Amino acid sequence: MNTLNSVGHASPRIDALQRVTGAATYTGDRRLPGMLYARVLRSPHPHARIKRIDISKAQAIDGVKAILTRENCDVVWGSGDTRNKRYLFNNPVRFVGDAVAAVAALDRHTAEEATRLIEVEYETLPFVLDPEEALKPGAPEIQPGGNLSPNNQGQRQPEVLRRGNIEEGFSAADRVFEDQFSSAHVNNAQLEPRVSIGQWQGDHLTVFASTQGISNCHTEIARDLNLPPEQVRVVCQFMGGGFGNKNQCHDFDLMAAMLAKQAGAPVKLEFTRKEDFIAVHGRWPTKQYYKVGVRNDGTLTAIQLRGYSGMGPYRKGTGGIAGIEIYQCPHVDRSVYPVYTNKAVSANLRGPDYPQSVFGLESLMDDVAYALQMDPVEFRLKNMTRKFNDQIPYTSIGLEDCIRRGAEAFEWKKRWNPVSGGSTQGTLRRGAGMAMGSFFSSMGRSSAVIDLDSKGIYHVHVGVTDIGTAAKTTMALIAAESLGVPHDQINAKIDVIWGDTDRCPYSVGESGSRTTTHTGYAVVEAAKDLKRQIAEKGMPQGNDILTATANTNPTIPGMARYSFVAHFAEVEVDVDLGHVRVTKYVAAHDSGRVVNPLTATSQVKGGATMGIGMALHEELLYDRASGQPLTAGYYGARVMTHRDAPDIEVLWVETEDAYGPYGAKTLGEPTIIPSVAAVANAIYNAIGKRIKDLPITRDKVLGVLA
Amino acid sequence: MSKISRRKFFEGTGAGIVATAVPLKGQQAPAALKPGAPHTKIQITVNGVARKLEVEDRWTLVEALRDHLDLTGSKIGCDRGECGACTVLLDGKPVYSCSQLAVWADGRSVETVEGLAQNGKLDPLQEAFIEHDGPQCGFCTSGQLMSAKALLNHNAHPTEDEVRAAMAGNICRCSNYNRYVASVLAAAQSGSAAAKRRPNTAAAAAGSSRGKA
Repeated sequence: MNTLNSVGHASPRIDALQRVTGAATYTGDRRLPGMLYARVLRSPHPHARIKRIDISKAQAIDGVKAILTRENCDVVWGSGDTRNKRYLFNNPVRFVGDAVAAVAALDRHTAEEATRLIEVEYETLPFVLDPEEALKPGAPEIQPGGNLSPNNQGQRQPEVLRRGNIEEGFSAADRVFEDQFSSAHVNNAQLEPRVSIGQWQGDHLTVFASTQGISNCHTEIARDLNLPPEQVRVVCQFMGGGFGNKNQCHDFDLMAAMLAKQAGAPVKLEFTRKEDFIAVHGRWPTKQYYKVGVRNDGTLTAIQLRGYSGMGPYRKGTGGIAGIEIYQCPHVDRSVYPVYTNKAVSANLRGPDYPQSVFGLESLMDDVAYALQMDPVEFRLKNMTRKFNDQIPYTSIGLEDCIRRGAEAFEWKKRWNPVSGGSTQGTLRRGAGMAMGSFFSSMGRSSAVIDLDSKGIYHVHVGVTDIGTAAKTTMALIAAESLGVPHDQINAKIDVIWGDTDRCPYSVGESGSRTTTHTGYAVVEAAKDLKRQIAEKGMPQGNDILTATANTNPTIPGMARYSFVAHFAEVEVDVDLGHVRVTKYVAAHDSGRVVNPLTATSQVKGGATMGIGMALHEELLYDRASGQPLTAGYYGARVMTHRDAPDIEVLWVETEDAYGPYGAKTLGEPTIIPSVAAVANAIYNAIGKRIKDLPITRDKVLGVLA
Repeated sequence: MSKISRRKFFEGTGAGIVATAVPLKGQQAPAALKPGAPHTKIQITVNGVARKLEVEDRWTLVEALRDHLDLTGSKIGCDRGECGACTVLLDGKPVYSCSQLAVWADGRSVETVEGLAQNGKLDPLQEAFIEHDGPQCGFCTSGQLMSAKALLNHNAHPTEDEVRAAMAGNICRCSNYNRYVASVLAAAQSGSAAAKRRPNTAAAAAGSSRGKA
């Protein structure tokens, strides 16, 4: 791979200084003149009809300026549910945490007090928490028409993927393996709780949001509030993480705007940590029934999956259970049932459709390999994908190198026990596991504008917010590369303008790992245009500027563009305590050319570590009798801490890819995909018992060993 | 991979930040007390400066710092003593400022992230956090810095395990723990040498934080 001048060089974030001095302005740090504070009242019941709401006592409190309920607010939150109408305030309420009212007052304590004084009379309704239970006849109906959420065509059918003929596949097999796996609802748990500030100036609305995508947030606020887009402005300068649950506009953005309108003053709506856990969304819990056919030589002949995803009562996410495409296999049959339940809503969390399903798939594939007395690494090398769905060539594929080089760096041969339940040292058992994954490396619509002034400064306007991925820095590096600005002059010559829909063109939104490939590509094209203009007209003089724009929407005819990844984990299991510790971890990634090795490596370390937490700790537990969430919060979820996090060794397999900005492929989402399965497989290798339900907590470890 | 040092790359960033800051913040004077709510006059030394203010008895320390002293570097991640984003030093000891009442700080000294840079020089920890890419989203960073500062104040050369232990109360959901630990170890190693390297950046940061941003 050829060396470039800026792209590919480890570069600190262009805004790192603000982040380490407390100078970065996050949405919650803003305080506008005359600003009010808002709080939300939420349903204490998993399913109930509201018979009466009395706000008179709340209204009577000094300092209360606006109250919204379903009675005075019928705004529909469009992206809150892709199938049904989801209002800001719903009746019936369908989960513990469904919004019932919102109050704005002079200060947050008064707003809190007022929400407690709103009297609500509920008629409780039967509820159901488990997706398979919810599909049984006689289950409580959560949405009109039944609990199976309609598919893309609006039919009450599962989402289906079929290739070949599954029965032929099983007939051709020497052995057939079947098993079931489950995964839990886990929370995004980003450090910055939800916050939004609505401010009206005449009929113009500004929303200071905490969003992963100012452009889609802007479009959707305008749509949901029935405003012309030019009357809406969305600003997000610094953003404290989201991992998928701050994309698009959210109900709190709309509530802040509606409260501000009613009160005639700007309103800041803040969620508590508990609300953030129960009332936004987390990863969908799943039940997975896998069946796999294989020949004695280890060749896969059939993969079948019937899966159920608990979506909560609103269809905000796909509910997909994906990942079969990492295997080459002629006969595939997958049916996934996204089901309404009365638990917290489920939608995107890093690598949305994957880590939970790859856990099931890769656990079973591991069992197949052991049963055939094959090394799990060899089994993957034999069966890994060569063409997407065995049909479409990839633009580039470094999966084999990820596996081979990852195994070498990990010292797989040394660490892996050919017979599970291997090495023993007192009460400690050590074992090694691996898993692989892929993620769609999308190319598509985005825009960029570059102005060049007579001082030679390039002002790069991009609609990114930078959710922690270093997107601004990535854009600066790509701009510098494309414009011929030397790497050591980036901060002097490249001025990135971001995070404000009044100042930035459309950007795709920082989800699906698309910012580098979509918006970065637009920056490359805008830079080309600018260079043409410079060649034609010369450098601008005096007050003149040159402006270049690009609205790009590249397509890749007849090929599939994917990133690939293989993770390797070694664990130490204490068989007396059930405690699992990750002692060695190698993450090998093919994300094409790496634009910024410094920040890209941070992302891999972070994603893998999150996956370890998902494997071992995290679950939003519910009380089955009452439908109440029990573990909302960091202590309850037991997210990874400094104490738990092992050293993650990151290995880059930089394939040459002819598409994307300088051949960069997708990165942030795949980092978590195989990590859960790699840890689970290592535990199996250590103790010789397979735990099939996430998270793999101490009680489960002790349970299988008992 | 790079022929240019990270420090060199970073020079001049201050100017870039000012140019891109959006003039929108519009901070106003500290929010008023609620009439009738119990309140108390207190004096706190914040980052070396004596501050007198009247607080409602129910205000937490982080609330007073953020909403009434305009020091928004300390973040509220959970408001219930779980995450550590609000960590400040109270008489030199790291505390969750969401779990302290403002009135309890009367007569005591508080150090926040805004006080780390001294005389226009970044703290070695801040230098190391930049060079080792400590912050991803950055929301937990101030708390990580203050816990690390408390550690280095009483243990100038901690082991890796000591760093992990001292910072165990600071959650990073971007899970950049490796980077944070590496940053603290590097800062301990570089000590005052790192602090001498870049005299102007802290001043630039201060300018951008409360000027145009």
